[in-house]
Parts: sequence; C-alpha cells; structure tokens
Amino acid sequence: MLETIKRIFLLDLLQGLWVTFKMQRTSNITTEEYPKEIPKIGERYRGAPRLNINPDNSETLCIGCDLCAKACPENLIVVGTERNKETRRLDLTYFTYDLSRCMFCGLCEDACPVDALELTQDFEMASYTREGLIWDRQMLEEGPRPTKYTR
Amino acid sequence: MATEAWEDSLSGHLHSKFAQAILKTESFRGQPFAETTPSEFHNVVVFLRDDHAFDYLCDLTALDYPKDEARFELVAILYSFTHNRRVRIKTRFPESFHPQSLSDVYLAANWLEREIFDMFGIHFAGHPNLKRILMPDDWQGFPLRKEVNILDMDQSWVQNNLGIESGQ
Amino acid sequence: MESVNHLETSEMVLNMGPQHPSTHGVLRLVLKLDGERVKAVECVIGYLHRGVEKIGENRTYTQFAPYVDRMDYISAVSNGLGYCLAVEGLIGVEAPPRAQIVRVIFAELNRIASHLLWLGTSALDLGAMTALFYCLREREEVLKIFENYCGARLTTHAFRIGGLQYELHDTFEAETRAFSEMFKKRLDEYDQLLTNNPIWIERLKGVGILTAEECKSWGVSGPMIRAAGLAWDLRKAQPYSGYDQFDFDIPTRQGADSYDRYLVRIDEMRQSLRIIDQALEKIPSGAIMAKVPKVLKPPPGEVYVSIEAPKGELGYYIVSDGSLHPYRLRVRPPSFINLASLEKMAVGALVADVVAIIGTIDIVLGEVDR
Ligand code: SF4
Ligand code: SF4
Repeated sequence: MLETIKRIFLLDLLQGLWVTFKMQRTSNITTEEYPKEIPKIGERYRGAPRLNINPDNSETLCIGCDLCAKACPENLIVVGTERNKETRRLDLTYFTYDLSRCMFCGLCEDACPVDALELTQDFEMASYTREGLIWDRQMLEEGPRPTKYTR
Repeated sequence: MATEAWEDSLSGHLHSKFAQAILKTESFRGQPFAETTPSEFHNVVVFLRDDHAFDYLCDLTALDYPKDEARFELVAILYSFTHNRRVRIKTRFPESFHPQSLSDVYLAANWLEREIFDMFGIHFAGHPNLKRILMPDDWQGFPLRKEVNILDMDQSWVQNNLGIESGQ
Repeated sequence: MESVNHLETSEMVLNMGPQHPSTHGVLRLVLKLDGERVKAVECVIGYLHRGVEKIGENRTYTQFAPYVDRMDYISAVSNGLGYCLAVEGLIGVEAPPRAQIVRVIFAELNRIASHLLWLGTSALDLGAMTALFYCLREREEVLKIFENYCGARLTTHAFRIGGLQYELHDTFEAETRAFSEMFKKRLDEYDQLLTNNPIWIERLKGVGILTAEECKSWGVSGPMIRAAGLAWDLRKAQPYSGYDQFDFDIPTRQGADSYDRYLVRIDEMRQSLRIIDQALEKIPSGAIMAKVPKVLKPPPGEVYVSIEAPKGELGYYIVSDGSLHPYRLRVRPPSFINLASLEKMAVGALVADVVAIIGTIDIVLGEVDR
C-alpha cells in the first residue's frame, strides 16, 4: 500500500527535488567569479617559477650549482655559468626554463640549496606560442605579466 | 639479486609435480617466485589455478634482456583468494619462441597479452585476437624493447620544435 | 510493389567515441548492433598512450614519482602512495609512523574525491544533471585540502619515497574535520537524491551483471568485485601503510549489477570518513621522512606491491638491476583490466545501457592507456 502511494505521488522523486530546492539559498552558492575576483591560492601552491634576487643588492641568489637542472625529470632547465676569476665563484650567465614541458612537480624547487628557484602562487602564465613559454633569466626574475583585460 | 630459497608446501608441490621443468623457486623481500621452462609455463599456471586455487591473474607482463640468448622473460603474477597470497611465475625464452596463450585459463590474459605483444612483439600461440592495443595499428617497432631510445627521440623533438638545447 | 515483410534487417556497426561525452575521455567503442541490442563490442584504446612504463625506465626513482600522478589523474595520491610503497619495498625501508598515518588520510580523502567525480559524471551520463554539481562542489573541498598541503590540486606529488616532503599545514586538522562533518550530511543528501530515485534504479538495476566468478577470471577488482559479493579489499587482505590500525568495514552487495556498484561506492565513502576520523585522532608526532639516501640505488631485485586504489588493485612491479634507473617498471592498472570486462558485460545490453555500464566500471582513460 505504502509502495503504491509512493509510486503514484512519486515521493522518492520529490524527495530528490527537495534537496535541489534547498540549494536555492544564496549562501549555498559557491561559484568563483574568476577573472573578476582572483581566487585565494594555497600558500604552497606550485605555479609560475621565480628566480629570487637578493632584495638588498638585487643580485641573484642562484649560485649556479646546476642541481635543479639535474633534479628535473623533464630536464628542461638549462643553467649557464662562468667561473669568475676574482671571486673564484660561479657566476650565472643565463638561465632558461621551458615552461611548456614543466609539470610543476616541485622537484627543482626542493633541490635548490639556497632557495633561489621557487614555484610561486602565480598561475596566470598562458601564452599564445610555445616560444613564449620558454622563460629566460629576466622573465624568471620579474615574473609573468599577464594582460589585464578590462571591460 | 640477493634472493632466498622459497621452501614451503607450495614450492614442494611444484617441484614434485613438474620436477625438471621448475628451474628455481626463490623469494626476494618475502615475495616468492618460480622460474619454469617456457614449454611448461602454461601447465604450471593451470596447475596452480586448478589445484591450489590461484584463481586470479593479477598481472601478466614481460621483460626484455637484449643481450641474452633467451631474450624475453614472461612474468605472471597470480593471486589466490582462498590463501590470500601471491606468487610470480616466470619463464625465459628467445625471440623465436611463441609461448602458449593464457587467455584460455584467465580471461584477463586476453588484453594483457595483447599489450605484451604490442610493447615487446611476443607472439602468443592460440590467442584469439592478437593485435596492437595501445599503439596505432600501423606503428613500426615495439616500444618497450630496450633498443628503442626515447631519450634521443625527446632530444631531437625539443631541438626541432623549440630550438633550445635542453631535453633528455 | 514488394510488401513490407520483405524489408530485411541487418546488423549495424556503430562507432561510439573517441569523442563522446559518456566515454569519460577518449575511449572508442565499436558496437555491433542488432536493433537496439548490442551483439558484440570492441574497445579501441590507446589514444592517451604516453608510454609511462618506458618513461619510468629512463628516469631515476625520484624523478619518476610525478609521472604516476598522471595515470589516474583523479586519484593521484593513491598512485603516488603505491609507487612510494613499491620503491620503499625495493630498498627495504619503511616510512615513519607519522608519515604512514598522514598518507592514509590523504589516500582516503582521495578515494572520496575519486568516487565523487565518478558519481557526478556517471549520474550525468544517465541524465541526472544536478548530482554533478553537488559532487564537484564537495570534491572541491578535498582538492583545497590537497592544495594547501602540497601545492597542487590534481597532480599532487604529495609523497616522496621514504615519507613525506611537506609537514602538515597548520589548518589541516580543522579543514579535514570540517570536511568530514559537512560531508556526512551531504552523503545523506545524495542518498535522497539518487538511491531511491525510480529513474536511477530503473536505469541501473540488473544492468551490466558480472558475477564474482566472472570477476575473478576477468581480473576485475575494486568496487566491482565487492558489488558481486566478494569482500576483498587489499586494505584488509594485505594491509599496508598502517591500515590494520583502523576499524572499518568492507561494504559488499550481492547483486553484481550497476546499481550495487553505486551502493558499494557510496558506502565506501562512508567508510573512508570513518578511517579519516580515526586517523585524525591519532596522528603521531615524530619524523616524516625515513633515512633514504639522496641518490637512490636499490639493490638488484624485484618487488610487486599493490594497493587498493579507488578503482581497484593498483600494482607496481619494479625490477631493479642495481642502477639508478628501474630496469623495468610495470604498472598494473585497475582501469585497464576492469575495462576489458566491458566486452563481456555489454553483450546483450541496450545501447543506452552501455553508457551506464561504462559509467559504473569507473575508468580513467589516462590509466587505461598510460
Ligand atoms: S617543476 Fe618539475 S618539471 Fe618543472 S622544472 Fe621543476 S623539476 Fe622540472
Ligand atoms: S639549484 Fe638553485 S642555486 Fe643551483 S642552479 Fe638551480 S636555481 Fe641556481
């Protein structure tokens, strides 16, 4: 009997509809309005790479040890160094980072002994070309400059 | 490999039933495995399934040792629900040998053998539908053989398409 | 004029996919149809093949870890857990207790995320659109926890060989507790939404039956075999990473059809919550990383280690020749082997049921093709 009533009045369906109906409340809306509002990204987020510079004298922190390049599974980092005659240390000459093949695994960041290479919270790094994703030292130090779109 | 001998009732049964066909029974890190002659491989697996309730084929895979005469190694990982244990049965054979398909023992072997054929070029005798499964049908070569060098392929791809030196 | 009776029927071959909304990626099915009935089906796969096993032979053990995340990208944490356990087995170390419990929490959160995405998409395939939005909303909470912990949402690379890379973040416990509280209520809502929904039942009951015996022979594992009445779960059968410390049940059903697979997965999410709740109570303090050499060179040997991933038994068979790279790295993908059974289940079903069956197998093409 109960079964028949349930069937005729589609009680089970109505129960489901009630769940849907409850979601009408505005406090239940969870959509993020992305380009308008920049979402809050986790602190440890692994996004665009950055080559840190020393804030005091704006020299690079990188000591040219090549550990990041060795750690990278995709082998996409190339570190160019030159032995400085006076200080007998390695000077960084160039640094390329091919974002187009990077999988943001963070192994390079973990390998860096001086925290020079860092994956930041920046996630807007799209480019129209593959070449645009090959970042050089300047780009890595300054960070990406995504186009600002306005209405 | 720092292996230990695998000696319990099961390995005893294998030895007494197949005698010379069981080349070794060992274990590494507590995981037992047996090596058989290629011609008895199928029979050993059937014996384990029927007489010792190894009714589940976890995995069937192969390895390539291009330097050896017996180039390929076939590994079947069997599981028994009744005994809750796993064993591995292996066999080594040259490229010209066509091992007998296990697809009549376990249905799961059908796709797994197709994958092995696709990746290593091992032909299974008696397989109902032996053709490539993951690679395109017109693919040349067998990717998981050791002579295929993906590092060079990667390197040249990066140089041609990105014009930079890095790459594997 | 010839009479209508002379019209002949013939079998039709229908191509479904690779670009088809209900094949969950790039799966192509060649269906041989007699009217609406499927007479034979052939799966054409490999569109996502990236050669993970070959890549593994060319990377060091540490370097390969991020690649496993990209197989079953819905449950990257489980993939990573399996891989770490396998390499740890090979070199003979064990992660410290704290790392183990944290791993369990993340693996269970991941199981929930995976089942949620499964529930949402397969309900969408069958026309129940709302479920998708709710499931994605809840899954988002899990992904946020992942993001806060390890910095990535999907391809997490959360664990390292020997333990964990990151210490738990400060808000972890609060976040996870809040999620667990919230999700218990949400699960009941799903129940109201779907479990008794007559359309849902009609579409799934008796569809795609695969009995326990058939499951064994086809190598099927995971929720599918449990829906066929076999209480087999590697977390209980061969406990790893400290699962034996937890009190949980293995949900099973007897019907072996799509509806029971749905029920099993819903119950599994409840059990996962139970495990998470218990684990949160007893995260020990201490080290998170075992002593593992920086340059990993396992001794020659081979291991097969498998875990209960959300989709079934995920195994890694690693053969080492004592060098820096694995000699052979085989992944036993649950999706691949489960999908093979479609060629049995779909025969005799209606075309529309094929969609339901693919849905309840719960495949991820990234893992099928690797
Ligand atoms: S994040 Fe990973 S893939 Fe990207 S550069 Fe660093 S190590 Fe290489
Ligand atoms: S590991 Fe750090 S210091 Fe060494 S080369 Fe890379 S960025 Fe520079």
